[in-house]
Amino acid sequence: MDNVYLLGIFAAMSAATMLTRSLPFVALAKVKNHSALDQFGRLLPPMIMVVLVCFGLVSLEIESIDRGGLSALSFVVVIVLHAYFRNPLLSILVGTGVYVIGIQGFGL
Amino acid sequence: MTHPTASDFWEALRDSAPVMFGYIPLGMAFGVLFQSLGYHWLFAPLAGVIIYAGSAQFMSVGLLATGVSYTEAFIATLLLNSRHVFYGLSVLNRYPKQGLARWYLIFGLTDETYSLITAKPPEFSKNSRYFVYLTGLNHSYWVIGCGLGASLQSFFAFDSRGFEFALVALFLVLLIEQVRTMKERWVIVFAVCASILAYVLIPNQFLLAAIGLCLIVVIVGARRGEVDG
Repeated sequence: MDNVYLLGIFAAMSAATMLTRSLPFVALAKVKNHSALDQFGRLLPPMIMVVLVCFGLVSLEIESIDRGGLSALSFVVVIVLHAYFRNPLLSILVGTGVYVIGIQGFGL
Repeated sequence: MTHPTASDFWEALRDSAPVMFGYIPLGMAFGVLFQSLGYHWLFAPLAGVIIYAGSAQFMSVGLLATGVSYTEAFIATLLLNSRHVFYGLSVLNRYPKQGLARWYLIFGLTDETYSLITAKPPEFSKNSRYFVYLTGLNHSYWVIGCGLGASLQSFFAFDSRGFEFALVALFLVLLIEQVRTMKERWVIVFAVCASILAYVLIPNQFLLAAIGLCLIVVIVGARRGEVDG
């Protein structure tokens, strides 16, 4: 195992991550309280969250009807629990618990 | 700058708790996967410290297995993380203008940290100490997860199937929280359409395509708002 190569790859990836995260701060540092920026700040976050939920669903790799049903059930469990109790920990733990039991316990 | 208060830390700890339940199992999944490469397990938490990008770290396992060049790793990470360019746009006015804290906060602007910060009311922008605690806590959960997964897997293999749902549940909870506080709920419909369109058209660049489409909707919406107002 080549540890120097591994660290080099880590460094390259770290630099790329920092570049993408810092670009708007460096490029737009001169812009102050622009109304279009406020518009971005208000509308973009919930939209990106929708996209990330979809990304999460895609990455579950739902290949069978059983798995699709289990995913839908866990999804609804999270929404219902969160609507009633508004406790993020409870919603995430129970939702994930249902999914894990479905996969490991029932082989879905 | 105000004096450090314990309440800032406790508030950050409470707010970041759901991220802990997402990051520790997800970090562990990375650690387990990383162990398949055969490096010392301590390199997994090290990746968490210096890369600190979940999807990029998962990708790195595949990249390292095929022995890519440094340039290829750099470009692949740049493409995968390009959505973060848009994140900065919406927290630009909330972050401190200079200093080490500013650069650490920018480095630590992950999907989850971004959504917690944007869920706070705008008047919170003055409290950079809270932001540093929040970012630092999320970062440490991720590093702990990476270390736990890799070290445990190097001693005994365990069944972690299904844990990936924690990520969906986390984003879903954060979405519900954001929808509660917003007036322009029509954008949600556009975001769902953008996601479906992106998945049908460019599934292997899903994130970038979907966020690009959302950005177009916001730009067009902002133009129309300027005309109306």
